[in-house]
Amino acid sequence: MKKITSLLLVFMLLIGMLAGCAKTETETPDAPAETPVVSEPAVEPAVEDEPVTLRIYAQYSDDDTKVPYDYAVEQLAIDYPNVTLELDIQAQDDGQKLQTYAATGNLPDIFQVGLSQIETFKESGNIMILDDAAKSTGFLDRAHPSAENIIYNEDGHIYAFPYAGNELVLWYYNKALFEEYDVKVPETYEELLTAIEVFNANDIVPMSIFAKEKWITTAMYDVFATRFDPAGITKLDTGESKASEEAFTKAAETLNELVNAGMFADGATNTNYDQAAALFYEGKAAMFLNGQWEIAGSAEKLGENADWMWYPVMPGYEDNKYALSGGGAPGGYAVNPNSEHKELAAEVAAYLSEKYCEAKYMYRGNPILAVKVDESIKPETPFPTMMQKLDTEMGNITSTTKFAWGLSNPLFKVAIEDQSQFLMTKDYTPVEFVEELDKVIERMNQ
Amino acid sequence: MKKFYGNKLAIAVFTLPALSLFSIMVFYPIIQVFYKSFFKWNGLSAGTFIGIDNYLRLFDDKLFYLSNKNGFIFAAVITVFQISVATILALAVSSVKLRGRNVFRIVYFIPVVLSVTVVSQLWLSIYNADTGLLNKFFELIGSSYRQNWLSDRDKAIFAIAVVNAWQWMGYQFALILAGIKSIPTSYYEAAQIDGASPVQAHMKITMPLLAETYKFCLLISVTGGIKAFTEMFIMTSGGPGNSSYTLTYMMYSSAFRSGEFGYGLAAATILVLECLIAILVFNRVFKTENTSEGA
Repeated sequence: MKKITSLLLVFMLLIGMLAGCAKTETETPDAPAETPVVSEPAVEPAVEDEPVTLRIYAQYSDDDTKVPYDYAVEQLAIDYPNVTLELDIQAQDDGQKLQTYAATGNLPDIFQVGLSQIETFKESGNIMILDDAAKSTGFLDRAHPSAENIIYNEDGHIYAFPYAGNELVLWYYNKALFEEYDVKVPETYEELLTAIEVFNANDIVPMSIFAKEKWITTAMYDVFATRFDPAGITKLDTGESKASEEAFTKAAETLNELVNAGMFADGATNTNYDQAAALFYEGKAAMFLNGQWEIAGSAEKLGENADWMWYPVMPGYEDNKYALSGGGAPGGYAVNPNSEHKELAAEVAAYLSEKYCEAKYMYRGNPILAVKVDESIKPETPFPTMMQKLDTEMGNITSTTKFAWGLSNPLFKVAIEDQSQFLMTKDYTPVEFVEELDKVIERMNQ
Repeated sequence: MKKFYGNKLAIAVFTLPALSLFSIMVFYPIIQVFYKSFFKWNGLSAGTFIGIDNYLRLFDDKLFYLSNKNGFIFAAVITVFQISVATILALAVSSVKLRGRNVFRIVYFIPVVLSVTVVSQLWLSIYNADTGLLNKFFELIGSSYRQNWLSDRDKAIFAIAVVNAWQWMGYQFALILAGIKSIPTSYYEAAQIDGASPVQAHMKITMPLLAETYKFCLLISVTGGIKAFTEMFIMTSGGPGNSSYTLTYMMYSSAFRSGEFGYGLAAATILVLECLIAILVFNRVFKTENTSEGA
């Protein structure tokens, strides 16, 4: 009897243990097929009246992402009363969580995605082609012609609805500090060196940078790469050029010189955004590097004292003055091809993208968007002077490159992120930088 | 009892749940790691079998050697610091003459119960080049030894190792203290009668009797050091550049940042092997010591 009871207990334990591994009824569809299968939605927009909850994986971390998202959700409730969004906040984890979702067949219905992950998901059939949805929802009719590069993938398909325009890396500066120390806003490399010297002599950090984040160090290197070659790091990303070519070697040497000249604060590679921004906004740093989304914040904190400048020109390369770092790459709201409501999800993704742009225009002082905003919509406050300046100067920009997250080759992305951060330290040499990058580019081209 | 152990079926049945759990949760994933390390795989698609290419590339990668070097530095720093400090503190706290030893016992253990994130943030503040406590301390004593603790390619790994050593010292302390408490006081009384000083008593009684405890402490320190990840992930993201990469961080970076899961798993396989070798070596060393003592 005892034996039987013991056996029963053991089996009950086993069953209980294995029950945890069982699939639930509400689970999302099975893991994607291993061969590339890319689904397309029906041409007709989906009309589903019954209440539907869509899982969405999106950025929701600061005003620049919370305000537009909240606005889009608010509008969605009016136009799609039957749709409820269940937000899963995007983690700053190099796409690790999204990758895990995809690997376990648990991808949300809608998810924000960057270019390198689009490429991976394309291969594994985890991303839906949105060509038809883009047409049927009218998204393409309302898209800015200048946003084509961020809408269409290299293979000519649409995989995500972008919610931002071609954003740029801007070199911000504090006008008041430049005036106080009688420093000319640097237009050339020589003037930049002079500015660094003066600010350092007065205990002002010449440029604050949150170099703990590797995308900004990539942008910093790219800024100098564009001084010598307007295409910047995009040529390295495609494997078209090698880091040992003159433009890229010179860019590394220039950045190294500036680091040694004291352009950045001690321990810059361990400074996060809050610390770097605080230095700039508290008047302890004269310049600051970030994307154009910083315009609203800097205008709010420094008022008319905040401005942006063209990157300083290198002698002999004056033609590259208007080449800017940044720019767009395909990315935005993508749809899970295995979603139960994939047609509706595609429609909602397009809708969210448009409303997100609207909110950026109205509340974030940003007129440079992927989608045209209805003329009846007015910004809540006039655009900051810096944004007006950018809007006016847009026509002068001769070329743009890419942000780190817009790079197409993940191998290169990791290499340039690591190496550019290394270059921000005094004892790392441009020779090491070039060697390491060339090795990776060689592997990419194999 | 003899009857019970003679019943093979009962043994099989009773060990089945734990064995199944271990096989599913530990053994199977390790086999998968090893198997997938022979593939070019992005973590989602089927992958392509490429034989030992990932390993050949790994052994040709400077980053692999740097990661290993960092792992061993990390392991050495935490092992030396934790075991030596934990031993001294445990011996001190075990002394009946020490007043308030219960308070010390709790205080030394507090960092262990803190989250690694909290501890890392705390030390990030301490290491801050401009406003950090450490540089301020050097300033205060009139020294010019100000450092960019976490932005220096040579110092960063040591600085991070100190954080781990500080946090987990309390754990080793608790283990060693528990070991000391289990030694009968009569041994020390006998030593005292024989005229041994407290130091001699500890050297001749405490240390030999704590061999098994030390073996365990060494194992968790060394394997913990080799597979270190969290502190560098939070404090430096492997930087500056890749100067504070460990093998685990390299595995993470290859798999999740570069999308090269096969390559990352090759690094993981080497990591598992390194930990296994460490375990075997310690077992052999301590077994030899026990045998020679027995003889």
